[in-house]
Amino acid sequence: MASIFDRMKKVRWDHYIDYILIAVFALVLTVLSMTGNLKNSSAIIVEKIAISMILAVSLSLVVGFLGELSLGHAGFMCVGAYIGGKLSIALVAAMGNTVFAVIISMLVGGLCAAACGFLVGLPALRLKGDYLAIVTLAFGEIVKVIFQQSATFGGNLGLGTPRYDKRSFFIIELITVIITLAAVQNLIRSKHGRAITAIRDNEIAAKATGINVTGYKLAAFMISSFFAGVAGVLFSFSNSTIQATKFGYNYSIEILVIIVLGGMGSLRGSLISAALITLLNEKLRTILTGDLAVMKDLVYAVVLIAVVIYNNAPALKSFRDKYNLRRVFDKIRNPKQDHAFVRDDDAAWDRVPTKIKMDELLSVDIVPGNEFTPDKPSKGGQ
Amino acid sequence: MKIIEIIISGLNIGVIYAMIALGYTMVYGIAKLLNFAHGDIIMVGGYAICVFCAMSGSRTFFFVSIVAAVIICTVLGIVVERVAYRPLRGATPIAVLITAIGISYLLQSLAQIIFGSAQRYVTVPDLGKIMIGSLGIKWSTIITLAASVIVMVSLSLFVKYSRIGRAMIAVSEDRGASQLMGINVNIIITITFAIGSALAALAGLFYLLQSPYITNTFGAMPGIKAFTAAVIGGIGSIPGAMIGSLVLGLIESICDTIVPIAPYKDAIEFSILIIILLVKPTGLLGKVRREKV
Amino acid sequence: MKRIITVFVAIALLVVCFASCGNTGKTNYAANNTEFYIGCSGPLTGDASVYGQAVKNSAQMAVDEINAAGGLNGVMFKFVMTDDVHKAENVSTNYTTMFESGMQIALGCVTTNPCLEFKTLSHEDNLFFITPSASSDSIVEYDNAYQMCFADGNQGKVAAEYVNGIFAGKTIGMLYRSDDAYSTGIREQFLANLDKSITVVEAGFSGGVVASFSSQINTLKPYDFIFMPIYYAPAAQFMTEAKNDVSPKATYYGCDGLDGIDTSIEGFDISTIPQEVSFLSHFNSKATEGASAEFIGKYVAKYGAETLNQFGASAYDCIYSIFEALKNCDVDVTSSPSEICEALKAVFQSADFSFDGVTGTGITWTKDGFVNKSAVKYIVKEAD
Repeated sequence: MASIFDRMKKVRWDHYIDYILIAVFALVLTVLSMTGNLKNSSAIIVEKIAISMILAVSLSLVVGFLGELSLGHAGFMCVGAYIGGKLSIALVAAMGNTVFAVIISMLVGGLCAAACGFLVGLPALRLKGDYLAIVTLAFGEIVKVIFQQSATFGGNLGLGTPRYDKRSFFIIELITVIITLAAVQNLIRSKHGRAITAIRDNEIAAKATGINVTGYKLAAFMISSFFAGVAGVLFSFSNSTIQATKFGYNYSIEILVIIVLGGMGSLRGSLISAALITLLNEKLRTILTGDLAVMKDLVYAVVLIAVVIYNNAPALKSFRDKYNLRRVFDKIRNPKQDHAFVRDDDAAWDRVPTKIKMDELLSVDIVPGNEFTPDKPSKGGQ
Repeated sequence: MKIIEIIISGLNIGVIYAMIALGYTMVYGIAKLLNFAHGDIIMVGGYAICVFCAMSGSRTFFFVSIVAAVIICTVLGIVVERVAYRPLRGATPIAVLITAIGISYLLQSLAQIIFGSAQRYVTVPDLGKIMIGSLGIKWSTIITLAASVIVMVSLSLFVKYSRIGRAMIAVSEDRGASQLMGINVNIIITITFAIGSALAALAGLFYLLQSPYITNTFGAMPGIKAFTAAVIGGIGSIPGAMIGSLVLGLIESICDTIVPIAPYKDAIEFSILIIILLVKPTGLLGKVRREKV
Repeated sequence: MKRIITVFVAIALLVVCFASCGNTGKTNYAANNTEFYIGCSGPLTGDASVYGQAVKNSAQMAVDEINAAGGLNGVMFKFVMTDDVHKAENVSTNYTTMFESGMQIALGCVTTNPCLEFKTLSHEDNLFFITPSASSDSIVEYDNAYQMCFADGNQGKVAAEYVNGIFAGKTIGMLYRSDDAYSTGIREQFLANLDKSITVVEAGFSGGVVASFSSQINTLKPYDFIFMPIYYAPAAQFMTEAKNDVSPKATYYGCDGLDGIDTSIEGFDISTIPQEVSFLSHFNSKATEGASAEFIGKYVAKYGAETLNQFGASAYDCIYSIFEALKNCDVDVTSSPSEICEALKAVFQSADFSFDGVTGTGITWTKDGFVNKSAVKYIVKEAD
């Protein structure tokens, strides 16, 4: 018994806490659902949250870790949703609406999206920053128009797809979230992940160290779009109709908002903000009915601006350091420890949210009497 | 004959984008910010003209309403910059992109609360058209084209020769270095936003001269199209925005004329954008910047 | 150990957010209702919001009137409208939330695309809905669905018959919106039923906001008859831009989407358009007599004319038809949606049930759920 505890102490819980949380959450909901205590509306919101989580984690790979701004994530989702949805119609007719039909559609939809990711990754080798952003946005819009005009995929009326059972589909989705998270997290923590973050921090330096920049960029785009495609297939199984208008650039921006609010380059943050923002959106829409509906966008916009400014404004940095969630949690966990002290664990390289700016590192506060002069050496200072 | 017709309608569409793209490219060039709220500032300018025009039908009042719209938009631009963008100076650019989107939502929903969701007709004066043979060109197109050229030239001159303009170039080249040279970066960026928003008000005006209808979401799509045009021309380049818009207008009118491909218009436009960027990664007139190691 | 406790506390919190008491499945959520709950989902914000606002206002007005007159045997009605922003993916939450708070009858969705999701969800629960304006033919696929508006296919067919009678052997123009289900639905049936001797020259546009119609005008200006299966907002913009290019003797002809062109756009004066404008519809926003005029008077007094259109009139009729049908049903305020659905279906399909409303008199419904009423050709403006 004691040996199990010893072994458990050695496990780095921090690495697994997200999986455990989601798994237990899924388990509890399953029990609730099986005993008939889960409302359909809650199940549907959980489904939506899971889809947002997959999208956020996969986009995080490109935006947060590779450092390329992508505004076409919904386009990959669109490819997955339509192709997976079309396939699922045939599969469900042949083998019934089972988990296998979902899995096969997911793989095929994901692979098609990954192929598109390869195509979009190609210009990414030549373009930078905002130019790449507009190319990804353009890709998303092109895909949207093609599917919308295609008679095979239902045209303007959209594609009617089989809906999986409401009371159990969220389990499949949450398992997919765990798989996505495991894939992306392990990639990031591997040597390949270090290569990807190295490209983000300085592409030229990365190239000079012999990192295959081309290969890693394409791989990151393909993996990210694969999971976006998977999310699309899940979307098609959680709705009875898919319509291309959903997958415009507005939706891509919504996913981007999620990962920016979650903290760029933090997967856990992305998961939490995916859950919160989806919940906020759905609740605002169903609570503010009738005449109040116009207030919904207003509330959302104000919350968005306030949170982004609070999270990112350089002027609020000291305030943030004083009152942030992590410190509150730390205080609950270890009341005696000095929290201003950054533990080695917290400073782990994959936690560093964005580029370290050279001017921040090199900035020296010049205090009167401590100026640097050649004949009078500085007293060390700073 | 048919070709000339297509070119003329391409001009009609292109000049609408040109004025919007000039504002876009101006803000982007100096503040390095994809201002997704630009389209909505156009919407505010449109509503301002609409309200002032409705107050009086006379021609003189129309000019007053233009001035009023420019002032309102300029003030709005400065306020938005001060409240939403300046606190994030020095933060990651994507955060500023997100607040721009937040501002866009905010302006749209405020407009719906104030003006309702129904479409409005704005009583702008009808300028008619000039006939060359059997072909007619709308006066509004000519005026818009002329105004865009004037704005383009005067912006270029302003940026090149005035003190503030040169400070703008310095800020866009290297923000830190220009601060060390004694340029007040905050004021320069505020001025940039003021000019960009004033241009947005003018864009709203010329948009209404072409098609006098306004809703709370009417800025969004032209905003994206103008952004595309600015990128085709090389974002940050003032003549590039003009050329990009006319190219985009021409593509649109060709697509609209050939009926079988008309539904794919947006897809074709964006494909051409991708092709142009693949051939010239910084757009038609964009500067290639070498990265120093 | 502490960490594990934190994890469990966090999970417990999450679960509290989502868990709910009460059984799902065949539960009758309406068991505690004290008033009849009519739900609806439509665009209250976004590009299509004007249509949703019209439905919301009119349905609320009808419900208020019924309640003021004493309700159904003393039982009041409640109308709730949630916002779906004209997007299908928002419908599932809207629908289930309303259903679980006791919705018994619905007006479906205002627009076609979201209604495709609504029809499947309501079919699973066997909930009765009659939609004021979701006009695609596939909306009434299941037997719990009814339409108050004309179906797109039918409108296209009627328009084609009208054109066949006048323009045999000639060429006509058509302006349609390529990314809109309403427009492409009518266009398809129109072309399918059109006489082979008639040539149609088409011009398409896409998107809710069009910068300029100049290319479309170039294509369409030689023709004296232009068919416009589109909504009034883009139509008004096209007419304004084209007024000097298209022959003043030309006719613009549309379907029910054109209704509102002379009333719903603040500041727009239809008399500045030299061409004739007419449309085939069940309602005319300029009606001066009968039930329509009475409805228009009440609506304008309460909400102003900007959102007055056939969507609202149709929604007003939906509420009253449900009210009339409920009078003949043996249900009470706590009946489950399924019981009410069966009772209402029986009434709507019975031979002696017909409804007189704003959008027509003697309205009946086919077995499939399509509406049976007469469409009138309204001439909004005669050519000069």
